[in-house]
Amino acid sequence: MGQSQEKGQGQGSIYNMKLSTVGATRPTETGTTHEPTGLDLAMKLHYLKAAYIYTPEMARDLSVTHVKEAMFKLFDQIAWTTGRLWRRDSGRPYIKCNDCGARFVEGECNFTVEEWLSKPDRSVDEFLVYHQPVGPELPFSPLIYVQMTRFKCRGLALALSWANIMGDSFSLLYAFNLWAKVLSGDKINALETSTMDRRFPKTNPTVKDPKSIKQVDPVGDLWITPNNKKMARYCFNLTVADQISPHFPTNGDDQIPVFEILAGIIWKSIAKVREAPEPLTVTIIRKDPNDLKPIRSIRNSQMISSVHVDFPVAEASVEELVRCMERATDERCGIDEMEERCDGSLDYIVYGAKLTFVDLSEVDLYEARVMGKSPESVYCNVEGIGEEGLVVVYAAAKSDERVVTMTLPQEEMDWVKSEFGKCGLING
Amino acid sequence: MPPPKMPDLSSSMKHKYVKLGYQYLVNNFPTLLLIPILAYTALELFRMGPEEILNHLNSLNFSLLHILGSSFVIMFFLTVYFMSKPRTIYLVDYSCFKPPVTCRVPFATFMEHSRLNLIDTPKSVEFQMRILERSGLGEETCLPPAIHYIPPTPTMDAARSEAELVIFTAMDDLFKKTGLKPKDIDILIVNCSLFSPTPSLSAMIINKYKLRSNIKSLNLSGMGCSASLISVDVARDLLQVHPNSNAVIVSTEIITPNYYQGKERAMLLPNCLFRMGAAAILLSNRRSDRWRAKYKLCHLVRTHKGAEDKSYYCVYQQEDDESHVGINLNKDLMAIAGEALKSNITTIGPLVLPASEQLLFLSSLIGRKIFNAKWKPYIPDFKMAFEHFCIHAGGRAVIDELQKSLQLSAEHVEASRMTLHRFGNTSSSSLWYELSYIEAKGKMKRGDRVWQIAFGSGFKCNSAVWKSNRTIKTPTEGPWSDCIDRYPVFIPEVVKL
Repeated sequence: MGQSQEKGQGQGSIYNMKLSTVGATRPTETGTTHEPTGLDLAMKLHYLKAAYIYTPEMARDLSVTHVKEAMFKLFDQIAWTTGRLWRRDSGRPYIKCNDCGARFVEGECNFTVEEWLSKPDRSVDEFLVYHQPVGPELPFSPLIYVQMTRFKCRGLALALSWANIMGDSFSLLYAFNLWAKVLSGDKINALETSTMDRRFPKTNPTVKDPKSIKQVDPVGDLWITPNNKKMARYCFNLTVADQISPHFPTNGDDQIPVFEILAGIIWKSIAKVREAPEPLTVTIIRKDPNDLKPIRSIRNSQMISSVHVDFPVAEASVEELVRCMERATDERCGIDEMEERCDGSLDYIVYGAKLTFVDLSEVDLYEARVMGKSPESVYCNVEGIGEEGLVVVYAAAKSDERVVTMTLPQEEMDWVKSEFGKCGLING
Repeated sequence: MPPPKMPDLSSSMKHKYVKLGYQYLVNNFPTLLLIPILAYTALELFRMGPEEILNHLNSLNFSLLHILGSSFVIMFFLTVYFMSKPRTIYLVDYSCFKPPVTCRVPFATFMEHSRLNLIDTPKSVEFQMRILERSGLGEETCLPPAIHYIPPTPTMDAARSEAELVIFTAMDDLFKKTGLKPKDIDILIVNCSLFSPTPSLSAMIINKYKLRSNIKSLNLSGMGCSASLISVDVARDLLQVHPNSNAVIVSTEIITPNYYQGKERAMLLPNCLFRMGAAAILLSNRRSDRWRAKYKLCHLVRTHKGAEDKSYYCVYQQEDDESHVGINLNKDLMAIAGEALKSNITTIGPLVLPASEQLLFLSSLIGRKIFNAKWKPYIPDFKMAFEHFCIHAGGRAVIDELQKSLQLSAEHVEASRMTLHRFGNTSSSSLWYELSYIEAKGKMKRGDRVWQIAFGSGFKCNSAVWKSNRTIKTPTEGPWSDCIDRYPVFIPEVVKL
């Protein structure tokens, strides 16, 4: 799916696109900068996406002005995200907080919300997320793109595309929830991101050679992940009770680790399809379990851990895989150190360096209420991932359901889908 | 080694005292003349004693007829005098439009949009950046919503929306401040140079507020940045003819339809400087408004240099090679502005300057004509005539030029510089933002005189002199209310973008 849009041309069924800019209401002091940590720089080739769809009942009276005003108030709290990337003399990127703003895109769609949501592959929501990579000129590339799409029935889709160098998916979803709060008239107060908050506990011993990160050829100032394979996307819903639980033996009323089981099933299916190289190592990205306080700031706090198995995955049981995943090693320190050692001059990828599983199921996506009602549907994904593939798991509107967004090499996708059919993850 | 400074200091002190003495003597000349005469008369009267005075009066043989006749003549002349005196025009109050924060355009955003809109002409983008760096504008100036799009979408609807937003907000505020009821408006004058739809903006206001059918409404368009004072002049003339009336003046410039979309450098300059703004002013000639009015209009002088070709063409709206309409600013603009100002000063000088300054100026003029043309022309010290100056915030160069030629201190031009920084060049309404700044700083005392100078295409120089009717308490609401504590700010010569 091509991602660079000309202004005015629609992406697929989105047309009449208009670009403008939103920022903060108060000027930031001249000379303010935001310094990315080593971990931030490791994530620079990735972009996080989220799309929220609201029905006409919720969004009919929501005009562009309302949405923009609420965005301005949001950016007052996180004004540094409206800055632009510059490079120090050493070549290390930093964010100059010059209030340049986030790009705001308005579009219209020929379908009604109902028609749109009836499409079985939810990856069609990619059309709702305007995305451009950072570069080729860093100082003139917005780090955030907001798209507001008006459906034929007056329903609304709001989507964010956000450069991972600023913060992780949890931060993005937190920012969106803040925006929804502002829209409904609540006052918000985001914490400032001090350098204190952005440190994470050092593991003992520090992983010297993190597996979850891979160096790529230098990308210069155009931050696109170099990929030899064409990637395809697929997004589907499933019910915990019907499709996940049967794969795991339950001991009475014990809570089953839904994400791990799902990851295990998918890992197995992909291992059956992918012959070389066999995916013996996977990366798990989830919320830091030691992070007891709720997310209150924008930063890269997600835990990046690696799981390695010595046995062939295709033949293993889901239980074994789940047990291995529980012993994943936190590699964040190692990644941070690797970037610091080269002072940001080398380019790495994390998502897709190895087959990556992202767990967003603990985030309450449906808290982003407009007119008191939760969104009808939410879509999450990551752009700019490596060839090994990515699986994102997050909550659906119903609490016993999950949504899975997969990005895999096109040649594997159909085979993997048929494997899913065989183990009952998808129907047919 | 530098020469000792002491003698210079003492001679400049002596010079200062001489000048002060001279000024006191000349300015109070009639009083100084009257004192000895009165003293002599009083001495004579004391010497004569009461009986002798009475004898003198009796000998003059005043009959009743004489007394009545003289009283009647005196009364007649007094009546004629009062009837023919022009009505005093009061400025009851005014309000300035504060743009919504969502319209804010930081430098970085302006430059990024500029690069995207002028993607094929990096030299024009470079030019705009250099202008912006030296412009004296701040990071909080505002452009209307239509101009925030890439590329801008200046439809007629968008222009009308901007007009409605700025004008109605300013007028609602004015109604609230003065308690004026829409139905009580007798005269309505709107000036907006570059946007003139049909029906006019004044008709738009009449429609929105349901004003009276016999209202005297006027819509002035095409008259440039000095049109606000032209509106005040027209209002003043109308208020001489219509007793017991009030006039509402709305001054604005609508940016949406006039944002230059081409790439000619001389025509890109206004894009960098012009910003959203509007002001609504209530004038009245009613005696009852005398107590609550803020200012009294003392003088208004209009100077038009359009008869000269170079003045006429110096701010010229035209199409470029690609048929984009924009305003071409000539390189001689500052020189022409200087000449127009000189012309205006020649007229207003005698009206406002104290006698001492006029005498000095006259003798310097005569001296240059008769003795030696090389004598330095004497620049009258206008600081003696005014406490506050509101120089149209047309751009940094205009303010610098006027500061130099009128020999004003930084404090005198602070209102203009800070208005340029916070609001940009809001065209005709900028004078009112500057006046609002002076009030917000608590500097406006009773009896203070304000000189408003505006320049505009044509080439025109208009000035108005107001006298403060009362000490104005710092207003709690107004365009400066949320930021006045941050001002004055230091504006660097060049801002590094």
